[in-house]
Amino acid sequence: MTKRIVYVLGILAVVVGTYGFYSRLFVGEREVNYGSYVTWGLWVAMYLFFAGVASGSMMVATLDYLFEIPLFKGTGKYALWGAMVTLPAALISIGMDLGHMERIWKVYLRPNLNSLLAQMVWGYTLLGVVILVALWLVVRSSGGKPTRVFKLVMVIGLVMAIFVSGGVGALLGVNASRMVWHVGLLPAQFPIFSLATGVALLLTILALFTSNNDPHRSQQMRVLGIATILLLVVKTYILWADFSMSLYSGVPQNVDAINQVLYGPYWWSFWIVQIVLGTIIPIIVLVVPSLARNRLLVGLIGILVLVGFAAARANIVFPALSVPELEGLATAFSGPHLNFDYFPSLMEWSVTIGVVGLATLAYLLGIDRLPFLKDTTEVAR
Amino acid sequence: MTERVDRRNFLRGLGSAIGAALAADNFDRLAAVPEQALAAYEAALAQADEANAEDLDTIERMRRELVRALQKPPSERRWVMVIDLRKCIGCHACTIACVAENKLPPGVVYRPVLDEEFGTYPNVTRRFTPRPCMQCDNPPCTPVCPVTATYKNEEGVVVVDYDQCIGCRACLTACPYGARTSDFGLTYTEEMPVAEGLIAGRTTTETYERAANFEYSQPHPRVERTSPIGNARKCHFCLHRVKVGELPACVTTCIGRATMFGDANDPDSLVAEMVNKPNVMRLKEELGTEPRVYYLV
Repeated sequence: MTKRIVYVLGILAVVVGTYGFYSRLFVGEREVNYGSYVTWGLWVAMYLFFAGVASGSMMVATLDYLFEIPLFKGTGKYALWGAMVTLPAALISIGMDLGHMERIWKVYLRPNLNSLLAQMVWGYTLLGVVILVALWLVVRSSGGKPTRVFKLVMVIGLVMAIFVSGGVGALLGVNASRMVWHVGLLPAQFPIFSLATGVALLLTILALFTSNNDPHRSQQMRVLGIATILLLVVKTYILWADFSMSLYSGVPQNVDAINQVLYGPYWWSFWIVQIVLGTIIPIIVLVVPSLARNRLLVGLIGILVLVGFAAARANIVFPALSVPELEGLATAFSGPHLNFDYFPSLMEWSVTIGVVGLATLAYLLGIDRLPFLKDTTEVAR
Repeated sequence: MTERVDRRNFLRGLGSAIGAALAADNFDRLAAVPEQALAAYEAALAQADEANAEDLDTIERMRRELVRALQKPPSERRWVMVIDLRKCIGCHACTIACVAENKLPPGVVYRPVLDEEFGTYPNVTRRFTPRPCMQCDNPPCTPVCPVTATYKNEEGVVVVDYDQCIGCRACLTACPYGARTSDFGLTYTEEMPVAEGLIAGRTTTETYERAANFEYSQPHPRVERTSPIGNARKCHFCLHRVKVGELPACVTTCIGRATMFGDANDPDSLVAEMVNKPNVMRLKEELGTEPRVYYLV
């Protein structure tokens, strides 16, 4: 029943997304609200989010295929498939953001490899290849013990997942003129965020979309729930470290950016979505054993955690760009796309909803149609 | 009533006088005035050739220095811009000249003028800061480009290869001065009513707006989803003008002669003289970007 509802929601999301995709592909970037001052908007935030989920899922898959933890036997394929559908979602999101997406081949054939952006394009492409190879090896192993080659692929995948998810943090962090980004903590926190989203995605999948044929399912969910709690606490501590450092430094550009998140136009995204829905409620539900045993509730909590992390990515991107580089720049010349106040346009939301819908449908179709993802007798020990 | 008649009589008289003047070939004399003025100006310039170059209007002096610099190999030139903030009156003529020269669409600006107000009445003052691209010697915007579409050319000017740019806006994000804008494909005329044949109608004006500009000495007609639409754009010191011995549009249009341009490697140039003054400063010098735009304060 839950799966059917999610199918319907996924189809609806794709229908909503059709408008955005049509507008972006056939009309261009006229209807977007990001611009020359807030240069990166919702789609870049979603790229960071989806790319994080993909690399986090790769990390989680190693519990089964690299570390061979008995409790997680049989869960790796769900995590890998999660990585497989969220990586294209990330690439679609960032592709839509490019002024000339038809020239993306230039990043492969004429790259500036000193550019972190080029490194990320190459890095995520290679990660995609590793995920594909890993999935192929899953199919070949038919639930058996991972071979040495498979383990080697997973080692490469794990290392790459850590580096590329840190790399997207560095992509922002290298901008020395954006003081709130230019801290060593930024690339360091991204792999943790990624792992948290990978864990949350697997928790959601196990809770909502898999059958009860594995007697260890509730134990798996309990362990993933505790991991989610720990990662949310770590995330909150990092957030505290980040914000307090900026606020106590007293540097106006830093303080302005943090104030934008805490009290500015994005306050609701931070306090309501990221903190209350994405952190406090999940911790409460996952801490209380009676609540944590309710699969539907735990599945929904997994989704809330993911939404909270998506908001967290957005709260890293927009506020830093909403502070003018020079006093007086905001009013020096007026025109479309020359604004420091950003809220995504209907078309931007539409594309993002469509991407979420596509990823959701792709995931469900995979676990329903692909033989190796259908529930098997492969169970935890 | 009497007053109205008087005014009518006056206008009639004035018309008659103008008619009479034209009839007496005065028109030719009037038309000859600009030519005479130009000839007198040319004569003064010729005299100035023999005298000190400093006697020239700064525009003429900079133009001559520019032509002199063009005799040198490009790598030996060091184009810099000096803006005297004490002379800037905030007329925004440079902004508009730049828009017209480069046919900039809505939302794209190369040289806005920052307008700041300080103090409280009665001790109030305003400061105008024209902000072109700083053409940094250590530009943060170029290494972030994933396809090397933006780079410093051999004259040290940061340029954009429109056909290479993928439109990721990483360079916009990296610029500490907000000196780059992205072209989202808009036109000024698209909201206008269609009125074919009229000078203000969309058909006529759009033809002008869609016609090519000549940035980087290449024609760039404004065609949907074709560069520079979708690209990062920025001030390039009007390289297409400089190449043929003309000063950047913002320099020639500055009514207060507040903006100066030239080769700082030429010790006799106006800009070389200016950048060594004690009251010179650059924006965000602490970042170490080494801007080539200097401000006199």
